[in-house]
Amino acid sequence: MSKVDIFELRLAHQDGTLAVLEVTGYINNEAGEAISQRARQLLSDGHRALLFDLQGTRIINSIGISLLLEVLEAVLAVEGTLAFCTLSASIAKTFQIMGLAQYSRIFPDRSSALAELSPKR
Amino acid sequence: MAEARRLHVVLTPAPNAELEAARAVEELAEGLGFLRDTLDEVKLAVVEACLNALEYSGGRVDVELTAHSDAPPRIEIEVTDRGPGFDPAAVPPPRLENKLHASRKRGWGLELMRRLMDRVEIASRPGRTQVRMVRSR
Repeated sequence: MSKVDIFELRLAHQDGTLAVLEVTGYINNEAGEAISQRARQLLSDGHRALLFDLQGTRIINSIGISLLLEVLEAVLAVEGTLAFCTLSASIAKTFQIMGLAQYSRIFPDRSSALAELSPKR
Repeated sequence: MAEARRLHVVLTPAPNAELEAARAVEELAEGLGFLRDTLDEVKLAVVEACLNALEYSGGRVDVELTAHSDAPPRIEIEVTDRGPGFDPAAVPPPRLENKLHASRKRGWGLELMRRLMDRVEIASRPGRTQVRMVRSR
């Protein structure tokens, strides 16, 4: 497995009910499980908007995608927001094919996502 | 007519074995002038074909990749397994609305292959399934 494929998940930022997770590497079944678990934990801690920054990811396989659907279900259950930013063109196309783009918010970069999703003060 | 370049990859069930085929796509495409984003789409389609083949056959999977530099420059991939086979016409296109709240959320692979590649042909019978995919630059 080359270095660019190695999965990493990092909580990069928290602001009130918003949590930003940085994802790097290949999203397969194990990575999808890790993302799903972390998302559920953040939701149970009271976060209501989850932003996934996928700048470091080039491939999400269909098993990883199906686990993202679990995250979507969990977010919808608490009437929260699922968002993604910095998607590669192929991942954006994949989300479009699946219809995931209809149920989540997609931003070109993290700063535009934060401007929209950060709690207003 | 330009000569085609070929690579043959043999996969056996192992964690992330499908990435070997994705790397072969990258290696073979060098010099064909594919955009990185287009190559990512080809790589995902190959990953999906290999995941299905590895999962349903449970054994060896052969991946034959061919790069054609004559017009239009294109990559052709054949993924062959020796599993029980299936009827591709009997696989309904997945719908997100049906997958949400369903216990089985998988089943996107075939749809992704069909939508990401220019051409996908599946020949399947008990003991041999071959997925042939083509993507032009």
